[in-house]
Parts: sequence; C-alpha cells; structure tokens
Amino acid sequence: MMQRKSKSRPSQPLLKAVWRANIDDHPIGLAWSPDGKNLAVAGVSGPITLLDGGDGAVQRKLPGHALDTMAISWRKDSRLLASVGQDGKVRLWDVVTGTQTSEMAGGASWVERVAFSPVDDWLVSAAGRKLRLWNSSGELIREYPDANSTITDIKWRHDGKHFAVSAYNGVVLYDPTKAEPLRRFEWQGSTLTLEWSPDGKYIATGDQDSTVHFWIADTGQDLQMWGYETKVLELAWSFNSRYLATGGGTQVVIWDCSGKGPENTRPIMLEGHQRLIKHLAFQRRGMLLASGGNDGLLAIWKVKKKKTALLVDAVFKAPIASLAWSPDDRNLAVADESGTLSVAAVRRK
Amino acid sequence: MMNTVETRVPVTVLTGFLGSGKTTLLNRILTENHGKKIAVIENEFGEVGIDNDLVIGAEEEIFEMNNGCICCTVRGDLIRILGHLMKRRDKFDYIMIETTGMADPGPVAQTFYVDDDMQEKLHLDAIVTLVDAKHIWEHIDDSDEAKEQVAFADVILLNKIDLVAPEDLERLEARIKSMNSMARIYRSRDAVIEMDKILNVGGFNLDRALEIDPKFMEPEYPFEWSGIYQLNSGTCEWVMGEGPDPAMGAALLPLANRGLAAMEATLMDAVLTFSEDEQAVEAGEMMRLGKGQYNQLVLNESGETVFNFAIQEPGYYMLFTEHHPDEFEARLRGAQSVLDPLETREYKPDHEHDEEVTSVGITVPGDLQLDKLNGWLSELLRVQGPDIFRMKGVLSVRGLDKRYVFQAVHMLFDGRPDRPWGNEKRHNKMIFIGRNLDRAALEGDFRECLAS
Repeated sequence: MMQRKSKSRPSQPLLKAVWRANIDDHPIGLAWSPDGKNLAVAGVSGPITLLDGGDGAVQRKLPGHALDTMAISWRKDSRLLASVGQDGKVRLWDVVTGTQTSEMAGGASWVERVAFSPVDDWLVSAAGRKLRLWNSSGELIREYPDANSTITDIKWRHDGKHFAVSAYNGVVLYDPTKAEPLRRFEWQGSTLTLEWSPDGKYIATGDQDSTVHFWIADTGQDLQMWGYETKVLELAWSFNSRYLATGGGTQVVIWDCSGKGPENTRPIMLEGHQRLIKHLAFQRRGMLLASGGNDGLLAIWKVKKKKTALLVDAVFKAPIASLAWSPDDRNLAVADESGTLSVAAVRRK
Repeated sequence: MMNTVETRVPVTVLTGFLGSGKTTLLNRILTENHGKKIAVIENEFGEVGIDNDLVIGAEEEIFEMNNGCICCTVRGDLIRILGHLMKRRDKFDYIMIETTGMADPGPVAQTFYVDDDMQEKLHLDAIVTLVDAKHIWEHIDDSDEAKEQVAFADVILLNKIDLVAPEDLERLEARIKSMNSMARIYRSRDAVIEMDKILNVGGFNLDRALEIDPKFMEPEYPFEWSGIYQLNSGTCEWVMGEGPDPAMGAALLPLANRGLAAMEATLMDAVLTFSEDEQAVEAGEMMRLGKGQYNQLVLNESGETVFNFAIQEPGYYMLFTEHHPDEFEARLRGAQSVLDPLETREYKPDHEHDEEVTSVGITVPGDLQLDKLNGWLSELLRVQGPDIFRMKGVLSVRGLDKRYVFQAVHMLFDGRPDRPWGNEKRHNKMIFIGRNLDRAALEGDFRECLAS
C-alpha cells in the first residue's frame, strides 16, 4: 500500500480548494470551456449549470434535456455548448445569451454521445447506431450508415482531421470530409471507450471484456493488454503521448509507450484506491495524473518513469463522478455523485 | 460478497412468447397500488413516464464476452441503460425487464454477473416466465426459445387457463415440471397473480438456494403407489385383473404406527426391498412379507390372478406396488370382504423423460472431497456449460462445518459457505436444469466426488 500521507516536509504539497459548489444532482459531465473561463456541469436529471471558472459563481442554468442529459461538448470558441440527452435531441446553446440556437434529432430516443471538433466547425452525435455529422448552425452534413451496434464513444483526433467511433466490434475511423470510413479496427468484443494519443499514433480503447487495446492508427495493428479486474472505462494519455493511464480495477495501471511501445512491458501500478477507480485525467501539459474512485478518493500522482508517487489526496463523501483539469492545468475540477463540485489547486506550502 | 442487508435494487426478468400476457402482467404491476417505484425496460422504443414509474425501450444487443476461460453472452443494452438509470436521483425500488418473445433469458441473467457496476447496484431476483396455456403446444416441441424460457424460470405462470380443459392443463403442468422442477408454477387468467408471487422471489438468492419444490427433491421411487392397511391375523388375498404388464413388483412391509417418522422408515425399507433380487410369485402362491422380500407377481394369461399371504401379527402394513393398482383393477380381500386402504400415496416414477430439456435432481448423503468436486464441475461446465442452463445446490464438504450453497447460470458460478450444519444431517442436494442431461452420468460422477 502506498502511504496516504507523505512525511511532513516544508515543501509538502497540498490540495487547496479554490471554490466549491453543489448542483444537487448526480453530475454526468464536467467540461471546462476551452478558454478556461467557464465550467459546464450537466446533471443526470437534465439541467446544465455554467459556473465561473474562477470563483464558482453560477453564470447560467440551461434547461438541458427534459429526460436526462447524457453528454456535453464545447465548441473551440467557448461560445457554443452542445448537449445530448434522452429526449432524442442534440441541442446547441449560446452560453453568452443563454439561448438555445439549434435543436436537432439524434436519430434514436437516447442520444448518448456528442463531440465538437477541436479545430473546425463540426460536431458528431451518436444515438444508438445512428452517427450524424453536423455543423454548428445545426445543419446535418452527413448521416453515416448505421453502426452494427450502439455507439459507445466518439473522439476527435487532436488535429481535427479524423474522428474515431467505438461500438461492439471495435473502432471505426472517419474523415469528416468523406462519407466512407477510413479504416476499421475490429475486435470481437464490446469496445466501451477510446482515447487518441495526442500525437495521433495510437487509439487506445477500454473494453467490456476487461482488456485495453492499443490500435496503431496507421497500420491497424492491435496490441492487447489483458488481466484487468473489470471492464475498462477509464483511459488518460499524458500530453507527450508517452503514458496511457488505465483503470479497470482498484489500481491505476500506466503503460509506457516510449521505445518499442507497451507490448511485453511491465506497467506502473499505483495502489491506494480501496474501491474501483472510475475517472482518470492527465494534465494537458504536465505530468500530474488525477484518479477518482468509488471510494470517494481523489488522488493526484506525479508520473515519472523511475518513481511515480502520490502527491496529494483528498476524500469526498460520495464516489467521484467526474474530473477535469482546467485548460491552464492550474486547477482540477472534481465532482462527486452527491453533486458536490470542487475546484482545487495543487500548492506547495 | 456477503450482503447482510440487501441494498441493491431487485430486478425481475419477464419472459414469455408473444401473446402469453406479458404486457397485461406488466400493466398490472404498474397499476397495482404497491407503493413501489418501478422502472420497466421493454422492447418497444421510446420512454414513457407513468405516474411514478418509467418505461424505457431497449433494443436487444447481445454481446459475446470472453473473460479468460469463461465465454458468455450478455446484454450490452442493459448494461448501458441500467447503468444510467442507477445514476438518477429518483431511485427506483424495482426494475422489470421484459424480453422479446423469442429471447433466450441466458444473456439477460448473465449480464448481472459479469458487470461490476450491475453487481454493485442491482441484484437479479428472479426470471418469471409466462406461458400461454393454450398456444404453448405450438412451440414447446420445436422452439428452443420456448424451452429455454421454461428452463431458466424461477416462477412460471400458466396463463389463460380459462381457454383450456382441466386435463390439458394437468398435462401441461406435468410436462413443464419435467423440464424445470425448480420453478414455482402458478395458474392465472388474464395474468392475475398476487405481486408477492412474482416480485422479491429470491430465485438467485443463495440463502434460498434450496427452497425447492419438495415434490421434486423427493427421490424418484421404484414404485408408483403405496397403501396403508390395518390387517388382522389370518390370510388375505391380493387380487389382480389383466393389466398393461404381465407381471408387477410388490412389497408388503409392517408399519409401526401411523406417524410420519414410521412411514418414512417403512418407505426407506421399501426402497431397499425393491433393490433386492425379485422373487417370482405365481397364481395361488404365497407372497412374502417384510423387508428384503421383493415379490414379482406373475399374472395369469387372462382373467384374474389371486395371490395369498398370511398375517401373523395384526397391525398396520404398507403395500408398495410397482404400478398403480388401478391399472390392474387390483384389490386386497380379507376373510369377508374387500379391504380399503386407510391411506394411499402416489410416487413420482423414475421413468425416463424423453424431453430434450429436463431437470436432474441429485440427493446423496456423505461428504464431498472439494478438489474432486471442483475438478468435476469445471470439466462439466467446460464441456456442457452451454447446455446447463441453471444449477443450484447445498453441499456437504469434508472439513467444512458449514453448508456450502451455490447457484450458477451457465458457466457463471456463485457459491459460498452459509450456516453451520448443526444438528441437521449432512447431505448433498443438487439440481441441474439443461438440455440433453444424462441423469445416470451426472449422478455417477457426482458420487465419485464423495470422500472415500
């Protein structure tokens, strides 16, 4: 077991709360606007709250979706927020005026995924097996042929040139300017989530059958990592594309993709969570990794090849529901299942 | 995982062919004033709120899952939908999952065992199968789905009984019992049934693993009938007419008193007696009395045959016959008149069922050797797992002072020690429900696991 409390030293880091709030709902999405000014949090019952990133003051309450909001995504300009929910709709909100600018049909009763391009004016939505590409005026650009099962995740490559979609049977890669998929990464199993390495070389997936895959995007080669305790829904890449942190159990498992890659290597294993880890988030330009679990533990680790160490931790009353580093990496937003929202900074005493 | 207080939300899976009355039953459950907040997951699209309750449409998505040595199929849609449902603030007290008429209940049940989020927040209470008492005959012979729905069930509701003749209903119930003797069977019209018969049944609860229909766990007997007679000293005649067989086995044993314990003791003696070598008895010859005397009564080619026996000690006697006496118009005649039995009992015959889907119950005294048992079970599930739908049991394991209880859905096994045996006689009881089960092989292999 990792020591929860490190020895008392003058430079002992601590987690300092910048502000706290409560949304009185189970938070299902926590997203900083790209400019870092706003933090959007969606509650499972529908409403979306926009808070000032600096002090937590409520800026706006958007109605969201009458029957549960399921996901949110910011446009790169921080002005538009997309949301999807169980009313079958994709909705676009102007966060400055607080008005809904578009309402689109997702194609099935539950719209579960939405992702704005980090570069262009596109967004992709998934509802059941329906995959639709829109522009930010709410115009349908393209409807793709139905996926062969419910789409579980959509992620854009960091340069916005491709996006990847996961479902049962693996991952399908698309170019938003083309109707036909670029490539299929096939796996006889239910792929639940995916993350592009920032350099675009790998697509990592977490699967229901307790595996993690590294798909090499250019060749379609598949590296499989077996032996997880549970299904894997937690994936986080370090900014330099060297480390992939994974959950799927009570230990954080970190694969080193430098050199010849993660295959046949021994991963870094981090102990400290008593119950299943549910969220992992790497800083955007730093090596701090945040992990949050069903035990309410929030842990921040400093990831290094030789000695990855626990930097600081805190325990929340309820299981951790969401984690998000601010765009400047200075603050970490944490939500627990009771609706407590906390923005904290790692400081030296 | 030991759960002293069950905080997880119970889930009932409702199966049955189209037209069996699932929708009627669901509507009853939703409108019945039971104070529960219920979420229903069904196969229609769309989501409808009904007062407090919620109906969610799901598209069945069956996924193969490969977890090390265990291969199974699960319902991916349920993992997603229930996972999301459990996040809601307005918690549900109960979840009902309606499957399509053609669904195999296996993947639904397995979903609750292979996914951690499901296991943490939900527990599978029971599989309830509705059977259209009139139209089931059109499916039961050649539909795998109909057979599986019956085989997996904890509760079977024979619905629409007003549309069938009583004898057809008896025939149906007997047929269903031979396929699944673990399930509780109820009869209904318009799906009218008390809620506590179908909700919180505990079908997958290990603590209730062996609350099994006692008629089923009763071993199968080598005889079909017994009658208790009060006999005075003197001679009696056992008169038989022509019947379906040219001969019939019989044993006459003294009974100490009319108490249950005495009857059980005599019953055990009869089982042993019927395992002895038979002794042919022809017309006019004396039948032999007592333990170990297994008479094979050989009938005349035609007409009545009379067998005699002499009673020395007046008292109660139990006569056991291989077939029901009515099949031979058989009766006992005393000195003056025909003697009627004071009490009769019929036994489940050990006839082979020619069903493809059957239940096999094994009751064996003695202690099991754990390593042998593990070896056998893992081999059995490896080879026959897809054909073994459900298993339940209470086992007596050598070196363990507690009962070992277990249940399994296909290859997913859930077992643990529960309470100490205490004064209870140590024994092993197991039930298998599945396709193409070989009773003799299962029982033989099971006995091989006994500690020598």
